[in-house]
Amino acid sequence: MPPMILDLKVASSTRRPVHLWLPLFLLWPLAAALGLVALAVAVVVDAVLLFVGRRYHHYTVLLMRSFAVISETRGMVIRFSNEKTAVDMTVQ
Amino acid sequence: MSEDRSRILNLLAEGKITAEEAERLLDALEARAGASTTTGESAIKGDPEPLIAALPKYLYVKVIAVNGDNVDVKIPIALVRSGLKLTSLIPSKAMDQINDSMSEHGMSVDFSNLKPEDIDELVGTLREMEINVDAKNGDNVRVYCA
Repeated sequence: MPPMILDLKVASSTRRPVHLWLPLFLLWPLAAALGLVALAVAVVVDAVLLFVGRRYHHYTVLLMRSFAVISETRGMVIRFSNEKTAVDMTVQ
Repeated sequence: MSEDRSRILNLLAEGKITAEEAERLLDALEARAGASTTTGESAIKGDPEPLIAALPKYLYVKVIAVNGDNVDVKIPIALVRSGLKLTSLIPSKAMDQINDSMSEHGMSVDFSNLKPEDIDELVGTLREMEINVDAKNGDNVRVYCA
């Protein structure tokens, strides 16, 4: 499952705290459409590279693994804090 | 083949667990089967999910600096595995540039030597890793899986 929500909290001693709830799931239909186009291009490129005998012809797999990496970001948490600022980012 | 065994093998095929973890789970199942045989019980009926759930899922990096800068990062191990698998597919020219750039920043790691078959072993070992650094100035760095 791809990440659906990015929860970002920024607290600062000098500014008002910010709590952003970014609905990543709204981007997925667009990303899926672009991904499918890119995948189709990659398949053609790989087929051509394979046909001309190039050693590297793994763009399709590279693209699919890239999607897998993005999907696996779900559950990632990054927190940073110092005396003035605190940032909390959670991918859900 | 028992249902539990096939579920573990499916998890391995789907890349949700490493070969090493699958081996551990299968060993645990066999141990349970052995125990039930000696006590006269029937074959395994258990659910492997608790065994799978017991495996560490996240890599934690915690930095507590004396100057007040604290960093706390929680990374899914699946992300580490996917990232490493991705590096093994990067074209050699691009990989050379990445290696050069990392070397310039003091990280001499050559990812081009990383083979796909080594990744599962590496991730399996990573789950058992724990690094604790207590610097002289009081900074504390902890890297572990849980």
